Amino acid sequence: MKLRVLVDPDLCIGAASCVTIMPETFQMNGENKAFVLDHGKEPGGSSYERWIEVSDAEKETVILAAQSCPTLAVFIFDEAGVQLYPEL
Amino acid sequence: MRLVIIGGGIAGVTAAEEVRKLDSDAEITILSEEFHPLYSRVLLPHFIKGKVSRERVFLKKPEWYSEKNIDWQPGVVVKSIDTNNKFVHTSEEREIEYDKLLIVTGCDVRTIGEDGSNVSYWRTLDDTDHLLKLIASNPAKATVFGGGFMACEYVNAFAHHGVSTSVLTRGPWFWSKILSKESGTLINAHLAARGVDVTPNATEPTVMDDNTIFGIGIGIHPELSLMRDAGIEVNEGVKTNEYLETNVPDVYAAGDVAEFMDVTAGRQRVVGNYMNAQMQGRAVAKIICGEKVRFELVSSYATNALGLEIIFIGDTDRNAADSVEVQGSAREGAVSERFFRGGKLVGAVLINKNLERKVITDEIRGS
Repeated sequence: MKLRVLVDPDLCIGAASCVTIMPETFQMNGENKAFVLDHGKEPGGSSYERWIEVSDAEKETVILAAQSCPTLAVFIFDEAGVQLYPEL
Repeated sequence: MRLVIIGGGIAGVTAAEEVRKLDSDAEITILSEEFHPLYSRVLLPHFIKGKVSRERVFLKKPEWYSEKNIDWQPGVVVKSIDTNNKFVHTSEEREIEYDKLLIVTGCDVRTIGEDGSNVSYWRTLDDTDHLLKLIASNPAKATVFGGGFMACEYVNAFAHHGVSTSVLTRGPWFWSKILSKESGTLINAHLAARGVDVTPNATEPTVMDDNTIFGIGIGIHPELSLMRDAGIEVNEGVKTNEYLETNVPDVYAAGDVAEFMDVTAGRQRVVGNYMNAQMQGRAVAKIICGEKVRFELVSSYATNALGLEIIFIGDTDRNAADSVEVQGSAREGAVSERFFRGGKLVGAVLINKNLERKVITDEIRGS
């Protein structure tokens, strides 16, 4: 399945919890903001937002990574556009 | 299994959530002094600045606890723990039996001698509501007392709302138990260039009713008498091994209150940050459920002082380090400090050197 993973740089404070949980999807940039990778790669260059193909286990981990963010700066959407996290 | 969790913050609720995933039959009780469901303390500065609504600060809704079959008891204080007969005695004169007990009581703010309605401490959501009222009262100025994380947050919040601010630090500069003079000079110069003067080596401010907000950010401390009286070993926090087990069987501690064996630092220490509390909550849940994996994390915390990025990684206690290597300078606008013990890198602080974070974290972790 595909998920849309997005970091809001205005909310991100650089806590890096997401990086600790899922470094292949999140890393920190020079602005001390988390950005989004696709399995460790950056096709199209650095970005705060990406569609990534994930397994069931990876989906669970990426949601865990989003949950770990103390400022709720990581947003996860499914293919239908439903926001999986943070819950509305 | 009957699990009783004393404390309803991020460590305790994360532990409860993880235990529920691992054991659908566990009887889980959370005794929480606060009345609010779980919220993110780290979101409170965003809430003060209007970046997020008050509602968005909450990480759990009240009904979440019952949906997960977790007995959440807000507004309940534990008065004593009987580790022989395995029960806790609460403020409501109830005795609650446990098979496993998790202590995640966190910390309280340190206070100054004087008090007044214009004195602000900032740790809880209620503190934030109070601070917002003070800011809305159109104060003439603000005085921040302290030189740590919360002092920075006060400075940022007051700047956002256009309140003229000055800072009194107790030490010679910000984080003087961690940072060198070079870093201290950089932070003070950065603040001064933005209209915030810092007075070093200051004593407690005299609280006067002159339309000044006093933002007090002089650190936190754990309340340990409950555990000490129960025969649970305490020092600066509740002492645990690398499995977050205390000296008493079936009693565990995690989060800000735990003085745990930090295997990456090679010593027992207290770590008061969100990442550590959350990860320990998750780790201790597994340990309680029988999956005995030692807790291992290079935790970090990032803050900024009016836009100056400051990142703390690993063990940055200057007194516990054998040596500290300082690179960069205030003049260059960027400083990094590396803390060594036993010939090994155990911690670092990066000021305006964000890109060094990964390499340093990996080196501390030993990966």
